[in-house]
Amino acid sequence: MAASRARRVLWHGRCWFSQTESAVPPQPPDSLYPPIVASATAQSKAARRRRLEHFKQRVHAAPSIEEKLRLYGQLQRPKYMVYPQTFALNADRWYQSFTKTVFVRGLPPRAAPAAAKAPGAVAPEAARAAEGAAGMSAEAAKAPEPGTAAPGAAKTPQPAAGAAPYLDMRELRSLACDALLQESFYQNKKRPYLYRDQDHTPGPFLTQLVSTLAAFLCSRNPLLAASSIDLKPEVNYYWHHGEEVVVHGHRKGRVDPVRFQIDDNPHIQIRVPKQLPEIVPLDSDLGDVPVIDHKPSKLPLFKRQYENKVFIGSKVADPCCYGHTQFHLIPDKLKRQRFVRANLEDQIEVLYRANGIASLFAWTAAQAMYQGFWNEADVTRPFVSQAVVTDGKYFAFFCYQLNTLALTVETIQNNTRKNICWGTDSKPLYEVVEDGNVKGLNDEVLLQLVRFLLNRPKEL
Amino acid sequence: YPLYQLGGPQLRIFRPNFFMLAVRPGVPQPEDTVQFRVSMEMTKVDIKNYLEKIYSVPVAAVRTRIQYGANNKRDHKNRRVKKPDYKVAYVQLGQGQTFQFPNLFPEKEQDAETRSFDDFRNKYMEREQQRQKGDPRRGGVPDWFG
Repeated sequence: MAASRARRVLWHGRCWFSQTESAVPPQPPDSLYPPIVASATAQSKAARRRRLEHFKQRVHAAPSIEEKLRLYGQLQRPKYMVYPQTFALNADRWYQSFTKTVFVRGLPPRAAPAAAKAPGAVAPEAARAAEGAAGMSAEAAKAPEPGTAAPGAAKTPQPAAGAAPYLDMRELRSLACDALLQESFYQNKKRPYLYRDQDHTPGPFLTQLVSTLAAFLCSRNPLLAASSIDLKPEVNYYWHHGEEVVVHGHRKGRVDPVRFQIDDNPHIQIRVPKQLPEIVPLDSDLGDVPVIDHKPSKLPLFKRQYENKVFIGSKVADPCCYGHTQFHLIPDKLKRQRFVRANLEDQIEVLYRANGIASLFAWTAAQAMYQGFWNEADVTRPFVSQAVVTDGKYFAFFCYQLNTLALTVETIQNNTRKNICWGTDSKPLYEVVEDGNVKGLNDEVLLQLVRFLLNRPKEL
Repeated sequence: YPLYQLGGPQLRIFRPNFFMLAVRPGVPQPEDTVQFRVSMEMTKVDIKNYLEKIYSVPVAAVRTRIQYGANNKRDHKNRRVKKPDYKVAYVQLGQGQTFQFPNLFPEKEQDAETRSFDDFRNKYMEREQQRQKGDPRRGGVPDWFG
């Protein structure tokens, strides 16, 4: 039977060839005739559909993840380059529509970790109460501890602090101040070069802060001990979303998927061998995705054709294949001062949000692809990651849960799942650094940072 | 414009040919984007200052491009006729303002007199066309033939 004979088929237009006719459905044994299927090489819609089916089956049947990624990004065409750190106005709404993300203000309420934190956060009060004076009134008067710990626990200092390891706020504050002062005051540095301010002080400060905090919290969070901290890693993701008609060129008039690529360089990244727990169930609906029916080039977004890369920061064989936290540094071109001078104060928050959404979507989606999921094989468990976007002084915290990878035209039709991003506004970590003193260190921000680093799966 | 270097004289231009013409976008633009045809010598900064200072319109961002006018048409002497080049500016308004290019030629509702005149004219044209046509039983064959 001709169909079952292995033959080499060169199918022009998509530049694939196959050694065997794997798209042929299995024939019943009593049939003498080959199955009637659409042509594979004709210029017809049925032939195009058959070629697409064949491509999907090839990716499904790929023996390894690297082979799957290679086939997924094999065909190169012009695509939109999405930059997480962008000066474009209202970029966060556009990025939400590209990635089908719901943005929820404020961080998710942590139920289980809060129970672990409550003795932890209470214990610093207990520690300070033990050092200073006794009594709850003195405690309340002394330390306006942020109300992020369970308020009931704050009111009753539990003497069982010895059971859970406690967080020493003084120690953490001193670590933060040390890092800050070392970079900005103690170390003798020349004046920063033009437009290199961020690499001069905030960059090294962030690296120092993260590495010392991670090392300090290793005993409390065994996941950090097994983690891998990358400096200036590369995170890439390539996906299709929506459809458009090709305008110019030899392919004019054809309907093509809209292709996007994110190439991101976070300042620091922490990758862990175990995945963070899900925040809300896979199918939850916490809001609406903004729908923008203009072409992405109006954002402005530009097209280029280059390698379709999917990368989380390490190759597939690395054991630390899940993401924990990313730290992003805002470059000089997008400083607060420049926005203020151009009368665009509302765009400062937009920048932080766009950075959080785009970077985290790329990272979580790349992690999902490393586990073998793609837009035809949607994720079966949510992928969670965190990010901190900062310009050295102001910190904004983001949390992302990837519930779906199916964003292409065919797969999005019956897909009710949405990705969710929680985020805060940017708050300053300190007021000013003067004469070897850090004035106005914000405990809330520091505590939130520590909480991010202590986040771990429930089994650990 | 000559490059400004430290200590050099302030560049002053008197009576420049700066004009801006708001046009209807050929492709749909986002709500906060207005499309203008501007003079070729204007820069993004010039456009922003023009709108903010003369018309007090808050401008968030400006992007410009130069549209090349085609040079393919030929006149009766086979010389190429160039359509002029022009610069297009896409201005994004600040403070959440939006702009929709207005419909300059709305459909006017006709009064009874115009409507009856239009009906009369259509009927007359139909009668004329019927008269021009020959006998329908001949099937379109002209009556030159016997």
